[in-house]
Amino acid sequence: MGRDPADGRGDRDGTRLRPEPPARLRRVPRNRLRRVPGTRLRPVLRRLGTGAVVLWAAATAAYLALLAAPGDTVDSIVGDGADSPQIRAQVVAEWGLDRPEVVQYLDYLWRLAHGDLGRSYLLQRPVAEVVGDQLLPTLKLALAAAVLGVALALLASAGTAGSRRPWLRRVTSTTELVLVSTPPFLIGIVLLSLLSFRFGLFPVAGDRGFAALVLPAVTLALPIAGLLGQVLRDGLDRALDEPFVVTARSRGLHERAVLVRHALRHALLPAVTLAGWLFGVLLGGSVIVEQVFGRPGLGQVTLTAVTGKDMPVVLAVVVLSAAGYVLVSTAADLAYLLIDPRLRRS
Amino acid sequence: MPATRRTRSAVLATLTALLLGSAGCSSGASGEPVDAAGPPRSGGTLTWAIETEPITLNPHQYAQAKARLLVWNSFEALLTHDRDGNLVPWLATGYQVAPDGLSYTVALRTDVTFHDGEKFDAAAVKANVDQLRQPGYAPAVAAVQLRNLKDVEVVDPATVRFVLTRPDVLILDFLASPQGAQVSPRSLRTAANLKAGGTDVVGTGPFVLDGYAPGQELRYRKNPAYDWAPPTAGHTGPAHLDRITYRFLKESSVRVGALTSGQVQLVEGVPATDQPLIAGNPTLRLHRELNSGSAYSYYFNVSHPPFDDVRVRRAFRDAVDVDAVLRAVYQDTATRAWSVVSPASRFYDKRFEGSYGGNPERANALLDQAGWTGRDAAGYRTKDGRRLTVRLVQSAPFVRDRRDILAQAVQAAVRQSAGIDLAVSVVDQGTATEALNGNRYEVFDNSRADTDAGAALNLLLHSQGAINRVRSRDAELDRLLDTGQATGDPQRRTGIYADLQQRVVADQAFVLPLYAPADQVAASNRVGGVGFEPTAGVPASAYDLWIGG
Repeated sequence: MGRDPADGRGDRDGTRLRPEPPARLRRVPRNRLRRVPGTRLRPVLRRLGTGAVVLWAAATAAYLALLAAPGDTVDSIVGDGADSPQIRAQVVAEWGLDRPEVVQYLDYLWRLAHGDLGRSYLLQRPVAEVVGDQLLPTLKLALAAAVLGVALALLASAGTAGSRRPWLRRVTSTTELVLVSTPPFLIGIVLLSLLSFRFGLFPVAGDRGFAALVLPAVTLALPIAGLLGQVLRDGLDRALDEPFVVTARSRGLHERAVLVRHALRHALLPAVTLAGWLFGVLLGGSVIVEQVFGRPGLGQVTLTAVTGKDMPVVLAVVVLSAAGYVLVSTAADLAYLLIDPRLRRS
Repeated sequence: MPATRRTRSAVLATLTALLLGSAGCSSGASGEPVDAAGPPRSGGTLTWAIETEPITLNPHQYAQAKARLLVWNSFEALLTHDRDGNLVPWLATGYQVAPDGLSYTVALRTDVTFHDGEKFDAAAVKANVDQLRQPGYAPAVAAVQLRNLKDVEVVDPATVRFVLTRPDVLILDFLASPQGAQVSPRSLRTAANLKAGGTDVVGTGPFVLDGYAPGQELRYRKNPAYDWAPPTAGHTGPAHLDRITYRFLKESSVRVGALTSGQVQLVEGVPATDQPLIAGNPTLRLHRELNSGSAYSYYFNVSHPPFDDVRVRRAFRDAVDVDAVLRAVYQDTATRAWSVVSPASRFYDKRFEGSYGGNPERANALLDQAGWTGRDAAGYRTKDGRRLTVRLVQSAPFVRDRRDILAQAVQAAVRQSAGIDLAVSVVDQGTATEALNGNRYEVFDNSRADTDAGAALNLLLHSQGAINRVRSRDAELDRLLDTGQATGDPQRRTGIYADLQQRVVADQAFVLPLYAPADQVAASNRVGGVGFEPTAGVPASAYDLWIGG
């Protein structure tokens, strides 16, 4: 018994299961959003506050987890090489590891608050430099993959929703399932073997221009497109069964317009909920994709830092990802408002 | 975890073999490799895909054998090893040892300049050693290689003297090692991140580090002023190549694919599964060389049962058919080791070949004698109700050459032939260190790529050694190691290390040597001058490489 949020024509069947739908989006005066500055600012401040708490919690949790992990920092710095009390004493002195753990933690927080991420134990360089160098290539990859993945998902779902062309729908749906269940590692190797090694269309490695970005982005985008496509199609199917679609069709709207202007809006809500998941996939996937394609990036840095127990770098990556999550979930909340006018009321 | 990893690599190997195999076959009839490199030629650019991105570009901090091929591009040492393991001059012109063995006087070349224009002289050498002994700079070098160094004296600009606290021939090995490489004194003073290295930490080598893109590549360009190649090099004067780029490709199948598709001209690190692919392609060549130092071996912890009993140690060795195990894991690409010293080392003693191993009857008889006569429900031997379990702890970040798979093969072998329970765990570095320092292990696995095997043996077997996981307190062993370190005459040293191997491998059965680590380089047949560093056995620098026109 749904209603079309984009087409708030009123409550035909009289059951008030959802809030009264507002007027069409285009009829909503833009300035209504900023009508009362004071009340608009408070949620923003609250958001910033929770964001800071999330960052602190993430940093602390990571700190504690690394502290609880077997072996101490000296072990990981010494590695599998020569190990003697004399060598250990030097390492302890160099990094100030003889201070109580609470002091080290507070010192870390203090420096973090001042934007000082410390020095990498393993790489002997400032963490800000280590992470900063690698941020751009990963952002490029993630952005390209996200755009491509969402575009593919939209195409696949909009092209096959409803009951038209059942065979195409079946083929697309199966492909999506296969993509979701295939490890990106394998997708990457197959793409590389065929398109790079066999046919020489794309270079294998590095962050060197657009051609080198294609295969990694596709590798990362395919599983995203797979899952997102399934969710979108499901949402579209549900929306197309709703009465407002019949109304829209009866108004003589073209089927494509019904799909894009009305049904898609419904289907987008659950998809936007997946933004956090998308961020996780991009971050986790970049570890594997960068390894396979020999690309620089945060994924590589994270992998090296975690295996080497390079605490300052791990912590920096955790804090950075937490910040990313906060950003993405805020963006998702804003996107809800854009998509569904009903939510702007509350 | 090991199971999934194995499946993953099996699937991958099959897949890439299928995909690449078809590519290889279509490119021409297989046959003998054609040499298209021609005579040495100046100019050109090469791309070399390597497995390991160095943790640091500062040679003083060197700790990865896989990064050695990079070091000698831009840095050089005072001495180097020739093919027979003898020391020959490089940035030095010669050295003299005092009759009491307590000082080494090294004469230096006078025509060498660093990439930043600084002059190479005795003061520079002293600055390097002083830097190495700075607290917190290179603790492992200061504590091991420079343990017996008292002082470095500048005699005159072209002469430097190393004064020792006790006779130590390994100081010469230090002078030929990456840690002993000469860094410009100006870099030592002004580099932004000295310990990390980079374009502002320079040496005297035939190539200048041009750029470093972390996670991606290292770029070198020719040093046109270079004219001080060591006698072991294939030519003199500047390098043949104008530029060389090392690209980091961690996946072996990706490296091989990049080579077969011509995107790179050389790759380092070709696993056994991919070697037939290279060998079957007439436009590619596979080069292989054994590393020096110590063989990859299992060291038995003799400080507690069951390996405090030499019969159990012998039984463990006899329970493994090493040849069969190596064939199963590495096909026919691994070279079996018979001694703790690598067969590539000048100190390797052939006497032990065929003297032990692959004898289940003897293994079982020895275990019976040692009192491990019971059997539990799972078929393992027991004694006083305790199972014959020995633990091998491997640190995941340092597992290479599929040594985790090799451990599983040994595990199956000792279980089947003698009822020994080898418990293998692949864990993080912290857990591994805890187990090792807490003496909660019975087997320790290790190989070291030192150019002088004596340096490796000091660390692994001396009762004061920094990685003595045998936990031996053997006065005779200490005496042999100390004498080996203090004896200058190569002939006599060989004799001492032969006695040592007799004690470690034969008499005491402290180790089960498994294989000699090797390095592989696969290259396009247009690339000439591919070789390995003499004695070390790792891929050589790019100095002698050229690319055919």
